[in-house]
Amino acid sequence: MNKTYDAIIIGAGVIGCPIAYELAKMGYKTLNVDKLADAGEGSTAGSCAIVRAHYSTEDGVAMAYEGFQYWLKWEEYLDHVEDEKGLARYMNTGSILLKSQGHDWRKVQSNYDAVGVKYEEWSIEKVKEVAAVYELDEFWPVRRPEDPHFFDEPVKKLEGALFCPEGGYMSDPALSAHNIMRAAEAKGSEFLFKAEVVDIRSKDGQAVGITLKDGTQIDAPVIVNVGGPHSYKINQMAEGVYEGCNIKTKALRHEVMHCPSPEGYDYYNDGYHTSDGDLGCYYRPEVGNMFLIGSEDPECDPQEWVDPDEFYAGKGGSGRDNQLTDAQWKAQCYRLARRVPTLQIPNQPRGVCDLYDCSDDWIPIYDKSDMKGFYMAIGSSGNQYKNAPIAGLMMAQLIDACEKGMDHDKEPLQFKLPYTGRIIDVGFFSRKREINYNSSFSVNG
Amino acid sequence: MRIYVCVKHVPDSAARITIKDDNRIDETVTFLPNPCDENAIEEAVRLKERVNESEVIAVTLGGQSAINTLRSALSMGADRAILIKTDDRPDSIITGRALQKAIEIDGKADIVFTGKESIDSEGMQTMFRLAAALHVPVANNLSAFSLDRRKVTAEYETDAGTTAVVVMDLPCVVGVGKSLNKPRYPTLPDIIKSRKKIIKQISLSDLNIKVPGAKMEVLALRPSVENRRAREITGTPEEIVEQIVKVLQEEAKVV
Repeated sequence: MNKTYDAIIIGAGVIGCPIAYELAKMGYKTLNVDKLADAGEGSTAGSCAIVRAHYSTEDGVAMAYEGFQYWLKWEEYLDHVEDEKGLARYMNTGSILLKSQGHDWRKVQSNYDAVGVKYEEWSIEKVKEVAAVYELDEFWPVRRPEDPHFFDEPVKKLEGALFCPEGGYMSDPALSAHNIMRAAEAKGSEFLFKAEVVDIRSKDGQAVGITLKDGTQIDAPVIVNVGGPHSYKINQMAEGVYEGCNIKTKALRHEVMHCPSPEGYDYYNDGYHTSDGDLGCYYRPEVGNMFLIGSEDPECDPQEWVDPDEFYAGKGGSGRDNQLTDAQWKAQCYRLARRVPTLQIPNQPRGVCDLYDCSDDWIPIYDKSDMKGFYMAIGSSGNQYKNAPIAGLMMAQLIDACEKGMDHDKEPLQFKLPYTGRIIDVGFFSRKREINYNSSFSVNG
Repeated sequence: MRIYVCVKHVPDSAARITIKDDNRIDETVTFLPNPCDENAIEEAVRLKERVNESEVIAVTLGGQSAINTLRSALSMGADRAILIKTDDRPDSIITGRALQKAIEIDGKADIVFTGKESIDSEGMQTMFRLAAALHVPVANNLSAFSLDRRKVTAEYETDAGTTAVVVMDLPCVVGVGKSLNKPRYPTLPDIIKSRKKIIKQISLSDLNIKVPGAKMEVLALRPSVENRRAREITGTPEEIVEQIVKVLQEEAKVV
C-alpha cells in the first residue's frame, strides 16, 4: 500500500514550506518532498532575502507590502514555534530606491500611494546625510567595464530617492525556510528529504501521486510544484501540464558579489538596502561588514540559461558552473564602486552563484494546471522571497477553493490580503496569461 | 630606494582544479595574484610609503594573461611592472635566474620582496634561487620586518610556533609570510590609476638564461583525493577533552 496524504508539495524552500504550513492549518495532511538534505538548502539559500515594496505593478507592490507584516512579526507568524537552529532575524535597515532612469520610480510612487505604503521622498542631500559614502552622480546608461565609456566622468546628479522605512532583509534565508518547516510540522505537516521526484502519476486527468527515484510511490489527490529552478522539469513530468502553460519557466544562472565596506564605514550596522537602477544593481549589508551586490540584469549583461541538474552537479563535479566569473565580478563591483568610490575590491572574487527560476515575463505563476489536482508556485524570478509567506497563504486558499469545485480559470480566485484588506485577482499570476509587458522583465518584477 | 616585488599568476584558491592531458591543469579557471604575493606587495608598498624617493616594481614570469596579476599589483600601489613572457612552465631554477636577469637589466635592486610560496606548486624555492643568482642574503616566511640604516631585521617562522631573527644588509631578498601584514584592497580610483601605469614586456628567450645542468620536469599530475569522514566524540567533557588531545597528538600530530 502506498503512503497517502491530502497534498504533496514538491520542494521545501521558502515558498514550499509556507504552502505546507497554511494547508496544514486548514486541516490538510501534507508531505513536502525535496531532493536536498534540509529545508531551504536549494536556491532559497542563495537568495539575497531582500524585503522591499517597489514593484512595477500595483498588485506586485500590494503583495510585497503585505509580506512586510510577516517578516516584521516573524515569531507571531510562526506561532512561536521553537527551532533548534534558532530563528532567522529581520534586519529592518529601511530601503532606498534611488530615482533614476533605470527604474520607473514614478510608477512605483503611484503604486505606493495607491496601496498606502509608508515612504518618504528624499533629496540627494538627505541621501548623502544618511549614507555619506554614496556619490550621487548619474551614470546612466548601465555599461560594462569593457565599454570604453564606463569610466566617463559624470556630468549630472541624480534627483533623489524614495525611502521605505519598513524595508530590509532576512539574516539567513535558508534558516527562514527551516523555521517555517518547524512551524508546519507543529501543525502536522511531514517532510521527506533526499527524495528526488521522477514521475507525477495521474489517472483520467487527475493527479494521483508521485514516484521517487528509488521507486517509492506516494499518493495524494493534490500535488504542488514548488521545485524552484527545477520547476519546468517537474511540469514536464505531469502529463499535459507543461504544454498547458502559456508562460514557461527556465533556470538562469546568477551571481551575487560580496565586497568589504569602505575603511571606517560600518555598513553592516549603519547601511541601507539600496536599489540603484542607475547602475543596474542593488546592495545591502552582509555579515563581515560587506556590501552584498546583486545585479538587476541590465541589457548589456549576458544571460546564461542552464540545465539546473547540470549546474548543481557542478558543485560536486567539475565545480565550474557555480563559481563566480572574473568578468561579472568586475562588472558588479566596479558599478557599485562608481557610487561608493571608497569600496574595497579584493583581487579574489567572493560571493554566491545560484539559479533563478525565471518565467517569460519575470512574474511568478501561482496557479492550478490542466491536470486536476496539480498546482504550481513557480517562476519566482529572483524576486519572490519577500512574498513567500503570503504566497503560501494564497496558494493554500487557491488549492482549497479548486478542490471544492471552483473553476479558477473561468472565475479567478479573489484573494483578500489579511493585513491591508486589499483584494488581489489571482488570475494575474495565471499560467494562461499573455506576457505582461508592464513587468520590468528583471529581478525587479 | 628601488623595491622589487616578485609575483605569480596562479589559479583562484576557490576554483576546482581539474587535470588535462595528464600533466597540466585546466587553465580555464580564474587566475589571480598568488595570495602570499599580496602580502609581499603590501610590505613593498608600506616600505615605499616610509622611505622617500622609493619606487616599487612588480615582476612576474608567465603568459600574456599574467598581465592581470601585474595590474592587480599596480592597483595595490606598485609604480610599474615587468612581464617576462613565456608560454612554458619553467622550474624554480629558471624562474630564479630569469627574475634576477630582468631585475638587473631594469636597475639595481635595494630589496626584493616575494611571497613565502606559491599556492599552486608550493615549492618554496624561487626566493632562495633568486637570492643565490643575485648573490645576496635571503630570509623566508617573515613574521616581522624592519629596516634601519640599510640593515633589515627579519623575524621568520621556522617550525610551527617557533621563530628566529636575522639581520641582513641590503640588498637582500625577503619572503613575506601571511602573518606579516594584511594586504590592502584596492578601490576603483586605485584601479583606474593603475591602468595608466607602465608594464614592460620582455621575452624569456631574450634574457639568454644560462641553461642549468639540472632541471625539474613535471611528468604527471594527479589530483589529491580527499577522503574525509566525520567522527563523533562522545562522553563526559573530561573524556571528550582527553580524546581530542589524543587525536591531536597521535593522528594530526600537531601538539
